[in-house]
Amino acid sequence: MDFPDSGNDMKLAMEKVEAQTRLATAPTPDRLNENWRFGRPHKHAAALVELLADTAGTPSCGTVTIEDASGCTDKIDKEDADSELLMSTIGSDRILGLHLQRFGKGAALFIEGQLTEPITITYETDSLFTPTTLIIAAPGARARIIERHITRGEGCMVCARIVQAAEGAELSIELEETGSGTSRAMNIINISAVQAKVRHLSRHSNHAWAREETIAEILHSEGEADIRLYSANRLSGDQVLDQHTRQIHTAGRSASDLLYKNVVEDNATAIFAGNIYVEAGAHDTDAYQSNRNMLLSEKATIHSLPGLEILADRVRCSHGSASAPMDEEQLFYLLSRGIPLHEALQLVAEGFLTDAVDRFHSTADND
Amino acid sequence: MSLIIRDLHARVKDGADILNGINLEIPKGEVHAIMGPNGSGKSTLSKVLCGHPAYEITAGSVEMDGQNLLAMSVDERSRAGLFLAFQYPVEVPGVTNANFLRAALEARLPKGEEINVVDFYKQLRGRMKSLGMDTKFTSRAVNEGFSGGEKKRNDVLQMMMLDPTYAILDETDSGLDVDALRIVSDGVNAMRAPFRSFMVITHYKRLLDYIRPDVVHVLYKGRLVRTGGFELVDYIEEHGFDFVRNEEE
Repeated sequence: MDFPDSGNDMKLAMEKVEAQTRLATAPTPDRLNENWRFGRPHKHAAALVELLADTAGTPSCGTVTIEDASGCTDKIDKEDADSELLMSTIGSDRILGLHLQRFGKGAALFIEGQLTEPITITYETDSLFTPTTLIIAAPGARARIIERHITRGEGCMVCARIVQAAEGAELSIELEETGSGTSRAMNIINISAVQAKVRHLSRHSNHAWAREETIAEILHSEGEADIRLYSANRLSGDQVLDQHTRQIHTAGRSASDLLYKNVVEDNATAIFAGNIYVEAGAHDTDAYQSNRNMLLSEKATIHSLPGLEILADRVRCSHGSASAPMDEEQLFYLLSRGIPLHEALQLVAEGFLTDAVDRFHSTADND
Repeated sequence: MSLIIRDLHARVKDGADILNGINLEIPKGEVHAIMGPNGSGKSTLSKVLCGHPAYEITAGSVEMDGQNLLAMSVDERSRAGLFLAFQYPVEVPGVTNANFLRAALEARLPKGEEINVVDFYKQLRGRMKSLGMDTKFTSRAVNEGFSGGEKKRNDVLQMMMLDPTYAILDETDSGLDVDALRIVSDGVNAMRAPFRSFMVITHYKRLLDYIRPDVVHVLYKGRLVRTGGFELVDYIEEHGFDFVRNEEE
């Protein structure tokens, strides 16, 4: 075995070995795993693991389209797999391990300078597609990235996304996840910022099942780091959306904010489990987390589990959750102006979600 | 052609009776003021006419230009020409004023037809200007973050845009300062026409000094107990509602 030269290389090599072991030995998600308590893992996660395992070694089936006038985008190469190897999950190590085995398609963005035009990445599939997106923003870089996932038929999109923003960088990232009604989707997202600002918005529509794990971490040096996570989704039929988040503050004088909103109708289910973690010594952290849900049916289900884990003693952190039917007075107000019931329901429901989308855009614009 | 209310009884669903036999006819072209002490049923009357789901009608009928108003859904009543300027206009987050009004106007068009967007904005901005409203309000969510006075003006703006034949103003004067009251009243007065009627609900004479009613009614314990001309307003201003309480108790 070749030993690396420096201490850092040694540490990295050991971390890789640990990660490989962790991913290789991880169990299939099940209900006994707290992070899969409500996500119907017996139905969806087990099927996804089986599908990934059965097709290991076969090419990932999907297309990648990139619109990038700046020329910042490269194809993913084998060395980039190390980034995915070192990713964290919220209960899905087994799926990440299988994803890594299929590593090969996706987009790598190395952003320098301030881009005026957005970069758009589109992943499409009607089969099983496991793309990876790597976004690395150099100091002072500024960019807007739109990532579209389109899954047709019985297809399944499993995407890993790594975002690293260096000092002074500002990133605005939108994920539009669109399904067919019978499709499945999974996103594992790792965001890290060092004195940088990252805005992330995800919108899911029309997947039979979708899971999203987002780990946003503020690293190392103090001051000015700010990560904001937004999500706005509308679920109907028997759809399930299972979202898990972690806002990790390892450095003080930093901020993070989260607002996830869902409109849930019919027999659909929305799950939110979030955690704000503040390390000891990360003083003057300012972190907030809010999950808001509108229920349009008596059979719609919400599981909302916001959480705080604070080891520093001088912070401002809070979390909140509210789930309720549509406000009858709002609906009556629209009806009283002659707007028909169906349209009034749409307007109020979309208006409820617009709040999160507007906040994403207004914070991105203000930056 | 008129709005005719006959022996109207209503209560809060599974709750107390509030309206106990209202009889009232408002012919086209007239302004009727409804006054009365707190809790007499003024706002309930306005909401019942518009079909608010919190209330249950236990007896009586309401006819609007020959149509059975109570058989219509809330939105149908509006499209048939009824409008309520709310005592407490509701905030509707995420729905801009412009989109809200466009949806309300398009609901009045034959299926498949759309409003002319240029004409719409021209009319909207003109109306806003006449009410002293900043045109930036077009892109703000309906009533969200508005002051009490701004909400009232916004309701009157909606009334101007929707051009109803029967308009109910429920305490539109509350929350308005003197200047805003004059501006809003001017807007209402400009809409007075032989083909339109108003029911103006208020506690105070000051609104009726601007919007001069043709007929004044006093509502007490869910019934109209007095009807008269403007002299009734002056009397109430001077003596309060004690005379009603004394006579009716």
